[in-house]
Order: sequence, then C-alpha cells, then structure tokens
Amino acid sequence: MSGNNSTTVGTLRGGNLQNRNSQRSTLLKVVILGDGGVGKSCLMNRFVSNHFDEHSFHTIGVEFLNKDIEINGEAYTLQIWDTAGQERFKTLRTPFYRGSDICLLTYAVDDRTSFKNLALWRSEFLYYADVQEGSTFPFIVVGNKMDVPDSEKQVSTEEAQAWCAENGDPPLVETSAKDATNVEAAFGAAVAAWAQLEARLERPLVEDTVDLSKQQSPHRSSCCMPVSGAE
Amino acid sequence: MLSISSEINRESSSMDREFRKKGNQRMMHFGNLDESHPYYMIAAARMSQKPETKPVTVGRIYWKFAAFNFIHKRIQETDGGFFENLGTLLAEKVRAQEQQEGPLPKRKDEKTEEEEEETEDDLSEEGTIEEPVEALLETDSDRDENEHATNFLAESMGWNIEELYAALVFMIQHQIGYDVSKECELETLLNYLQNAFKVDNDVHERVLDETRNMEPPEMHLNVEVIEAKELVSKDSNGKSDPFCALYLESAPTRRYNTAVKTFTLSPVWEEHFELDFDAAETVPEKMSKVKDVKGVRGLVKLAKEIAVTATTGSHDNEFIGRCRIPLKDIPTTGHTMWYSLEKKNKSKRRGVVKLRLAFSAEHNAQVAAQEYRHLIRVLLLHEIETQKIEKYCWCGRWSAPAEVLLLQHSAQRGLLARNVTLAQWIEYARIHQEHPLNFTVFNKLAIDLLRPMENGLFSPDETKLFWDATKKLLYSCLNSVRKIRRLPAGDKNAMTQLSAILGILSSISSLKVPADCNLFPAKMYSWFLDPDEAPSVLQALEYTVEQGGVEWFEHILNNNFPESESDEDALKHHIKVIQLIRADLQNAIDNYDKLFIKRINLPYARCLYMTYEKRISDMCMIITEDICGRLKRIEIENADVELNLGTTLFELYLALQRYAILGQVLCAEGQLEGMKVQSYHEWFRAGVAHWLDIAVYKALKRIDRAVEFDTLQAVDNSVQYSSSAVDTLTIFYQIKVFWTQLAWPDIEGSYTFIAKIIDDICKCSIAYADKMAKKAELTTDLEQLSESSVYEKKFVVSTAWCFAINNIDYIRTSIGPLANDLGLQNIVDALAESKTQEEAERCQQTLQLIIDNATDTVRNKIIELLQVVANKMAPAMNRYLMEGAELIDTTSNSMERLLQYLDSNLTTLHDYLNEDNFERILLVIWDTISESLFQLVHNNLERRRPPSFYSNLHRSLHTLIRYFNIGADEAANVRVLEKIEHLLELHGLETAELIHRYHQERIKEQNELDESEYGQITVKAQFVDNSLNIQILNARKLRPVDSNGSCDSYVKVKLLPEEKFADVKLPKTHVQKENLYPLFDEIFNIPLTNEQRNMENAIVVFELKDKDFLRSRFMAEAFLPFSEIAKTGSDQRIESLEQIHLMLSRTDVIQALEHRKGDNQATEFLSKLSSKAERK
Ligand SMILES: Nc1nc2c(ncn2[C@@H]2O[C@H](COP(=O)(O)OP(=O)(O)OP(=O)(O)O)[C@@H](O)[C@H]2O)c(=O)[nH]1
Ligand SMILES: [Mg+2]
Repeated sequence: MSGNNSTTVGTLRGGNLQNRNSQRSTLLKVVILGDGGVGKSCLMNRFVSNHFDEHSFHTIGVEFLNKDIEINGEAYTLQIWDTAGQERFKTLRTPFYRGSDICLLTYAVDDRTSFKNLALWRSEFLYYADVQEGSTFPFIVVGNKMDVPDSEKQVSTEEAQAWCAENGDPPLVETSAKDATNVEAAFGAAVAAWAQLEARLERPLVEDTVDLSKQQSPHRSSCCMPVSGAE
Repeated sequence: MLSISSEINRESSSMDREFRKKGNQRMMHFGNLDESHPYYMIAAARMSQKPETKPVTVGRIYWKFAAFNFIHKRIQETDGGFFENLGTLLAEKVRAQEQQEGPLPKRKDEKTEEEEEETEDDLSEEGTIEEPVEALLETDSDRDENEHATNFLAESMGWNIEELYAALVFMIQHQIGYDVSKECELETLLNYLQNAFKVDNDVHERVLDETRNMEPPEMHLNVEVIEAKELVSKDSNGKSDPFCALYLESAPTRRYNTAVKTFTLSPVWEEHFELDFDAAETVPEKMSKVKDVKGVRGLVKLAKEIAVTATTGSHDNEFIGRCRIPLKDIPTTGHTMWYSLEKKNKSKRRGVVKLRLAFSAEHNAQVAAQEYRHLIRVLLLHEIETQKIEKYCWCGRWSAPAEVLLLQHSAQRGLLARNVTLAQWIEYARIHQEHPLNFTVFNKLAIDLLRPMENGLFSPDETKLFWDATKKLLYSCLNSVRKIRRLPAGDKNAMTQLSAILGILSSISSLKVPADCNLFPAKMYSWFLDPDEAPSVLQALEYTVEQGGVEWFEHILNNNFPESESDEDALKHHIKVIQLIRADLQNAIDNYDKLFIKRINLPYARCLYMTYEKRISDMCMIITEDICGRLKRIEIENADVELNLGTTLFELYLALQRYAILGQVLCAEGQLEGMKVQSYHEWFRAGVAHWLDIAVYKALKRIDRAVEFDTLQAVDNSVQYSSSAVDTLTIFYQIKVFWTQLAWPDIEGSYTFIAKIIDDICKCSIAYADKMAKKAELTTDLEQLSESSVYEKKFVVSTAWCFAINNIDYIRTSIGPLANDLGLQNIVDALAESKTQEEAERCQQTLQLIIDNATDTVRNKIIELLQVVANKMAPAMNRYLMEGAELIDTTSNSMERLLQYLDSNLTTLHDYLNEDNFERILLVIWDTISESLFQLVHNNLERRRPPSFYSNLHRSLHTLIRYFNIGADEAANVRVLEKIEHLLELHGLETAELIHRYHQERIKEQNELDESEYGQITVKAQFVDNSLNIQILNARKLRPVDSNGSCDSYVKVKLLPEEKFADVKLPKTHVQKENLYPLFDEIFNIPLTNEQRNMENAIVVFELKDKDFLRSRFMAEAFLPFSEIAKTGSDQRIESLEQIHLMLSRTDVIQALEHRKGDNQATEFLSKLSSKAERK
C-alpha cells in the first residue's frame, strides 16, 4: 500500500538498467457499491489482505485500500474505494464516484432486497460519477455470501444472470468473502472488463484543455507507475 | 571548474576531514579518489545533511505565501474569487457578524463575582425618573376596550365630591397635633384644595363658613407598634421573648400590651392601638392639653416575658427598656419613627422600637379609606395636570400641599399604614390605566402590601379591591414586557422600570390568588394559548415573553422581504432574519437576562431563544433542503454554464451554526435534544458535497491559469519555487479555510468529507505536476531556440526545469501538513470516542492511505520529470562518451568536455533545485549515464574494438564515479556499477593479460562459492623440489549429463598459462562409469622446470569430463593456484597431506574473447576452450 508506493522510487533506480520501461502499472479507481451489510468491506479485505472478519462494522462513509495485481501480464494498481451502503451515508459517499474506472455492484445472495436494489445502485453511480457512456461503463455484478446454505439463498444464479442480461450485460461473479471463493476472480474480471473496454475505445486524451476528460479518470494518463518488489 | 565548489569548501572546511574519512571508507572499492574534485565536496556536504530536516522547513514555510493572497490577482478573477469567497472572505464576513452580535454569554456558573455585584449596584438604585421613557410612552393601542375608563375624572368627581371637599376643609381647619406645615400655610392648603377639586369661589366660601363653625372632632391617639430591633437579649439562649406595653403617663394604670413574640431580638408586631384621653374631658380640653401642657407624656415600655414555670404557670416579666414620647412632638400629619429604649442607670444601648403616632378624630374606618382613595385620585389627577407629568414618570412624589393634605387626612382619619398603601395601590393602578405611572411606585407598594396580604389583614372588600387593581396593573406590566423591544437598550431608567415591573410580578406571584379572581382574562390575553387555563403569574410572564418574541419575529418578517424570487435572495433574506433575531437575543442577553433571572428567576434569553428556534428551524430547513435538493451534480461536459454555488448558502449555514452554538450556551443539556436547529448541518450535507465537487473543478481551472501565468522565476530570494506553486497552495489554503469555517459538527461526516478533500487535493496536485512538466518543457524549448545556433545542439538544463520540479515538490510536501490542518487527529479521536477504537483506526488508516497515496503519486511525478531531464541530457553525454572511447590518444579532451557539460548542468541544478531534488536528480543522471555507458559497451562488443576503446571508457567510468561520488550513497546502485566496471576492465586489457585475468576471475568466483550445482572435487597436491605431485581423490554431487541420469567421468589436469606449460605432459584419470560420486584415487607426478615451478600466477586446472561413445564433454572445472600448493620435503608422503576440496564451476561468459576475432591469441584461446569439449 503506502509502503508499496514509497518503494517505487528505489525500484525505478535499481531496476533501471534491466527494464526501465517494461514494468509500469496502470492505476485504476474501483468503487464498490451495494446495500449495507452485503459484505463489501469483507470482499475488499479478503482481496487486499486475505483476511475475513466475522463481525465487521458498518463502514463509515468510505474506506480506502490499494492493491497491486497482474492481469494478463499487465500490472495494475487498484485504488479501491469501499463505500457505506447505509442510506444515511448517501450524500457522503456519492462525491467519491467521480473518476471511477470500475464499479462493483454488490448484493448478497441471502438478501433479496439487496439484489432488487442493484438497479438503484447502478443509476446512483451513473448519475454521480457523471459517466458519459453509461451503457459501456465497466460494471461487475458480484453476488456475495455464496457460502450460505442453499436453504437461505434468495437469489438464484439464473435470476442474477437474467438481470445482468437486461442491464448492459456486465460480468456476474458469485463470491464468498468468508471462504475466499472467487474474490480474486471478481476483481480480476473487473479489471479485464476495463481493459477490454479501454482497448475498444482507445479514447484520446485531451491534454491541454482543462481536465474535462481527466476528471473522468484523473490518474490514468499520467500515472503509470513502476511496480514495486524488484528489490 | 565550479564556483560552487569553493563556497562549499569554505563553509564546510571544519568538517572537511571528517567527511573525507567517511567517504574514503565507503568508497574504498573504487580505488583512489581524486579528493580535490569539486563534486567530492558537494557529496560530502550532502552526506552531512540529515534527510529529515528538509520536510520540516518546507512545512514551516508552507503557508508563507498562501496565507496572503494570490500572486496573480488575475487567477482569482477568472472564477470570480470562488475560493476566496468561501474561504477567507467568508471568514471575514463571519468575523464581522460575530463582532456585531457580541460575544456569547457566559454560562451561569462562569459568572464572576464582580459581574454579580455590578448588577446589584445597577438595579438596587431607586430610579428617580425625570425624563420620559419613550418606549413606555407608546400607547397600547390594542388595550382592551372594556377596561378603558372614558370619563375618568368626571366619574370620580361625580361621587359626593362636595361632601369630601367639605370634610377636607373641616379637617384643615381643625388640625390636631402641632403644626408641622410651617411652609404650608392654611391658606395655601385651602387654595390647593380648591384648585384640585375645581370648586368655584362661591362654593368654597360657603363650605369654609359652614365648617368653621362646626364642633371640632373627637380625639384619639393612634399608635401603631410596628417593630423593634437590636434588643438586648435576656435569655440564656441569646434571644428574648419580647412584648410591648404602652400607656399615657396621665393614666399609668391603663396599659395596652402587644402580643409576645417568642425567640427573637427583632420582633415585628404591627399592632394598632387607639389610646383614649380622659373620657370626661371635652375635645377642646383635650386639645388644649395636648397643645399646652408640657408635662403630659406618652410612654412606651418594653418588657420581656421570661419563663412560664410549668408548675405554677405564673409569669415573671423582665424589663428591657423604655422610651418616653412627648405628645406635643406628634405632628398633625402624624409620623413614624424609631425610638431608642432606655433603662435607668444603664448607658448601654437596649434597642430601638418603631412606632407610628398620630392624632385622629372620630371616624368610620371604611368611609375614611374611601375618602382617602378619592382624595388620592383627585389630587394625583390634579398634579398630573398642573405639573405636566409625563407618562410613566410619576414616581410617588407629591407637591408639598398635596402631601400635607394626604398625610393629614390619613392621620386624622386614623388610617393605618396598610390602608394607606392599599388605597395608593388601588388608585394608582386606576390612574395608571389612563396615564401610566412609573412602575417603581407600584413595586414599593407591592412590597409593603405583601405582609398584610399574606396575613389576611384586609377585609374581603379590601381584598377584592386589591385584586381588581392588581389585575389592571398586571396587564400593564406584562404588556410592557411584551413590548420590551421598544425600550431603549441599556437605558438606565428603562431598566429601573423593568426591574420594578419584575419586582411587582415577583411580589404578586408570591400571593395566593383567590379562586374567584381571574387575573388573566382570556379576552385581554389573546396570546395565551389555552383560554381555560388560569396560569400562574410566572407562567403568564413566560407566555408573554414568548409572545413578545413571536411578535418580533413577525415584525421582522413583515418588514423584510427577499429582493427577488431567486434562491440567492431567498437565502440572503433568511440570513438577514437570523441576524435580526440574533441581534434581539444579544440584546436580551446583554440587557435583560440577568435582570429576569435575578428578579423573578425566569431565564429570559433562553425562553426567547427557544421561541425563535422553532421558527428559524422550520423556516431555514425548508429552504435549505429545497435548494440543496435541487443541486444537480456537475456535468463536466457543459461545466461552463453557471457553476457558481455562491457563498450565501454557507453564510446561512454559519448563521445557523452560531445560532445553534448560542443555544448550547443558553440552554440546558436536555433542552437541546429536541431542538431542530442543533442538527442544522444535516440540511446542508448535499450542499457541502456539491461545493467540494465544484471546488475540484474550479481548482483545476485555476491551476491551469496559475501555470499559464507562471514565468518560472523565484517568488522571492528566500525560496526556490515560483508563482504557480504559491497560487496552487493558495487554493488548497482556501479550501482548508472553508473547511475550518464549516466546523462540521457531525463526526462521521467530517471524516468522509476530509477523505474527499484530501483525495481532491491529490488530484489537483497531480494535475499541477502534469501542467508544470509541460510548462517547463515549453519554456525551455523557447529559451533554447534562441541559443540553438551554437555549433552543436545539446540540451542545457534551464532554471525553468528546476523551478518546475521544485514547485511540484513544494506542493507535495505541503499535502501532509495540509491534511493535518484539516483536523485529522481530532476527528480520529472523536471517532474513537463516539464509535469504537477499531473503527477509528480503520478511518485513520484510510485517511493515511489517501495522504500517502497523494504524496507518493506526486513524488513519482517528480521522478518522472527528473527522468525526462536526464533523458534529455543523455544524447549529449552519449556523444562525449563515444568520442572519448574512439580516440586512441588518451590525451583527448572529450572526457573534459563531458565533465564540463555535466558541470554546467549540475551547477544550474544545484543552484536552483532544492536539496532533495538535487539529490534525486544526481542519482537519476547517474543512472542515465551509466546506462549510456553500458549500452555503449554492449553495442560495441559486436564490433571490433581495440582494447583501448574499452580502457578509455573504463577511465571515463572512473572519472564519473568520482564525479558523482557514487558509493557514498547507499542507495546508489553499486552492483550495476561493479558489473560495468568489470566488463570495461575486462575488455580494455591486452589479450594475454585478459586471458589470465579471466582465470583469476574464475578462481575468485570458485572461492566465493559455498556450494556448486556442478559438485566438487577433492584433491591433494604438493611441490617436492620442482616436481608437482597431485592426488585426485574423488568427485561428488556431479551433475548428471547422460540420459541414464548419471555420468561417466574422468579428470584431466591442466596447467595455466597454457603457453608457459606447452612442453609439459598433462595427466588424466581413468573413467568412472555411471557414478555421480566417482572415486578416482590416482596420483600423478609432474616434473617442471625451475622457471615453471616458480611462476607466480600459475594455476592447476582440474577439468571434469564426461566420456561418451564418440567424444568427451566438458562438465566443469576447478582451479588450484600454485601459490596454494604446499612445498614439502621428499620425505612427506602425499597421502599425509590435508585434503583440498574444490568447487566445480563453469562459465559461459567468454564473450569478451569471442568478439576479438582479429586476435590470434584470442582465437586460439577460444578454440582451445571450445575444444575442451571436442578433444578426446
Ligand atoms: N456468510 C457470509 N457472511 C459474510 C460474507 N461477507 C460478509 N459477511 C458478513 O456480512 C456482514 C456485513 O459485512 P460488511 O462487509 O461489513 O458489509 P458492507 O457491505 O461493507 O456493509 P456497509 O459497510 O454497511 O455498507 C458481516 O457480519 C460479515 O461477517 C460472506 O461471504 N459470507
Ligand atoms: Mg462496509
């Protein structure tokens, strides 16, 4: 995380002669949305520090963590913003949407309401993130808590798939933060979806006007940073 | 070469040697240092610096410029001062407003003694009111009509006025007692009376005649024993049980006793006695006695009743003291006086007794009281008329004749003090209806009436009159409170009257109101919510205070209107209303609150505050939520359409905030709970979020401008950054000020907003860094375009670059302090308190991560930029290196030119970059140049280059190493350096030397091995004279080379340098089949010449080979230098020697030789090497 970044300087120097330009990572801003209690924070913690907390607190406003990953040979640094799902935090969390590259829409398979609310989350995101091409934005739908017994499940895979199909066809990943099922996969799928879209769009960056486009993605153009760990 | 070097030299000369020593130690492996080289000194100076000191200094000067203003006014003009409006300007506005509002009141318990006393002073003073009090003079237009006495005077005159007049004239003519009214001649009194009663002369004369001939009235001496004090104690307990006995000395046996007051030294009796003169005497006789006989005295004796014995029940009185009062001293108007008590032969003070003494004629008490009331009425109206007394001004002071008349009347009619007071109360209250009097008059009366009222001393009729009058008076009192805002604030008279009003209310509130008396008729008190309720006086006062607030609030609303329908004007209107309300509260706090609390224990300001609170909250909540709710998220696409969220919304926020804080001071804990205004911030949440969103956008725009206007020159001599850095920081500063202003009370919200702000600042910093980089490039290009005619184009570092880099660093180092300034720690602490420690830590972690992320990202930006600079220098450096290497003649000056180039650039960098960045760029340039070198070597390995090419480069490298003082810094990449150096050294050698060097290296490598993947070999060796004896014992852990997973190995012995041992027959062992741990155990004797035997660098090589069907394959080798072989006598058998274990190894890097195709020796060496594998 911070250590990771702070070592990049040394890395840049040290790794210089061998591969000065080869190992840079792309910075991506990821937001996780979904009803309170569906397990957003748990997913993030599982992903970043491979740790699960049975009694986690409701998130206050936002939480933030960094994680370096490699997908298809490309290095990425994910800046993950975990938001508070409770309604009372709405005005506090929405300002963080802008500039996101990826959005994880999360529900819990044992909570039908959270699934029903996906559409609301999606539109809240699109509105506040000020995303222009809403239909093509890289959303990932994550159905968490797959570890619960079948008897407690309220949302079937088919149902979720159907929803996805009707809503821009984002990838669906069913996970369990508790037993670490598919968590890496969910984030991986998200990045892959982003990369795919990026390749397709190849949006030109207007550099010399005010950051109209940068607002969209503030770090991307300028934030290729070397990946740490060479030392 | 460099001017800077000499400076540093001077400065650091004292520590000079120390550094050199340190430097020497660290740089040992680079050989001798040219210590006179200027960069050595710079390096030494750098090493002495503690790295931590830098950020602190930057932190300290962090707001140096930002706190003032933009360097370029133009920048803030571009967005109409967006940040200033909400930052410092808003702060200033608010400060001004606060000043106007005055300081918050202190909480009760904080009040100082001094203040307490001051208040005491202020109000205990009886106000004599000479000037009219404008505010109170306002007629109560809304007074209840039913209470309106229209023909007041006529009504009072209608009553047997003539009878009263006659009675008074009679009274004046038949005065009893000595005549005090020397100044008031009989004539004057009669005249006055005539005027007051508006009696014409005829009537007056007639009355005068009639009364003159009438019999004088029956006489009594009226004595009221009021109280005594300071009595000497007669009981063992320090008290007494006193009573009073009085008698006329002419009839000492007829005694009048008061009740016994137990256990006191200051008894209050208030008992009234009518002492008759001798019944046989006629009135004139009595009169003459009083007037003429000096010997007749009244006497008062005070005795003390002591114990009542239980058995006998008999009393035993003990005398306390006595006083004697000559009757002739009693004036016609009567008097009330303190008399001292005496006892024969005792000089000690025995106490004082207060008596009221007056002569009176025969009378009917009820009629007398009525007469007296009418007299008051007539006289007061007359006084008001003739003296031109203003409303609310009369405070009980009569003209001399009126006073004499009243006193005489009350005395001679035998009216008791309480009757007089009651009469005044009733009549004053009546007149007050029409022509208000000073409230202090009533206050005094009320206090006097308390005791008789409490003790039920008045008749039912009197009591009824009292309450009727009180009812009228209360309305006036409450109405004045209701219209308190008409009082000139702080006016002393007004305050005295208000104090009196509250005194009256307080007195009345202590009385029990009779059940049949409705003090507050609903028709008069329209503002009492429940018409059926009979509120207490205190409640009524509270309702009235509230009503006053309500009316004032409405008054404000009715007199202030928004200028237009726009949100902006609506907000302004709301702010104005709050300000007016706040002013009213401040007035209440400053002027009235203490008084209300002291007089009647009503928290006036609090009461008002709560009244206003409801209304303000309702009003503001609606508009705020409405406006915030209508805020659209910003669409960047068409962002240029009006994006201004003015300051007004936040002014309203701050106005409400101050209002809420006032409440926290005024109100008790429990009262705050339900108060809507205490959650004022909730209404603004969306607004704040929105503002922050706009702020980023505006900030980015401003940064653009700031960079555009920046000329990349130092802001002043003391700093190394330029205007845009200051301008950018100013934006951050304004955001900080805005945040500080908000003082967002909700802790969870604070945390989240701060996270957002820091993230935004990060965004801005990065955008700034990008802009700066571009700017630097542009500026440099322009600068160097003019110089480009020089014979060779090469990049020259400009100061612009330095400033650009410093600027970014300046911004970067301020992120941390800035974040702290936002109050991080407080928020985390508060979270820990309100939530759990764990949650607080998580939040802290998040904030820290965001900050670190921001600073790291910006730092990477800087390094990127440094890299850009270094890359721009690379071509020139390359060229010089290349030239230097190509020249066979080592006296060439290309190295000189390279150093000059570096010098000139580094001088600029050193002079203009801050130290951190200079340090950084040195390393980056070093990286670049060493890479150039590496590339140069590498690329040229392909071509045929004379060794001198490499040795030139090698020399260059050494110069550069010294130049950069690499190795002094731990962070420098020593391993890479060693590798280049090794390579260059290798390639620069003459071939024979090179080959040998190769083997030397191999030995070194072998010795460094702890373990080898190729296994090891065990041998013994000795020199006996010129014979070399070798025993090859075994090999272990060989690497399988055959398909069967094993090998068929043998060992071949070789001696190096080969050309020196060409004549020697070299032995080899037998093949050990399919064994990775072959056991050879063979001994060889190799005779050598003396010369060969003594070759210093000769080496024995053990080549381990695999024997295949067709050929042998080289597996690995081990080296044993001659210098390590034991020299023994021929008697020492080789078996007795120590075993030597040698690691087996092999190398594939024989490139250096392979590339020397033109060199026979090399070719031979190579072919031999490769034939290691081929030869049988
Ligand atoms: N069985 C099961 N429980 C889970 C899983 N993930 C999270 N939980 C539990 O769900 C609860 C809520 O998880 P959080 O991660 O705090 O939920 P959240 O979405 O972050 O909630 P907010 O922060 O309020 O928006 C916790 O008690 C977790 O232990 C899962 O995969 N399986
Ligand atoms: Mg959470």
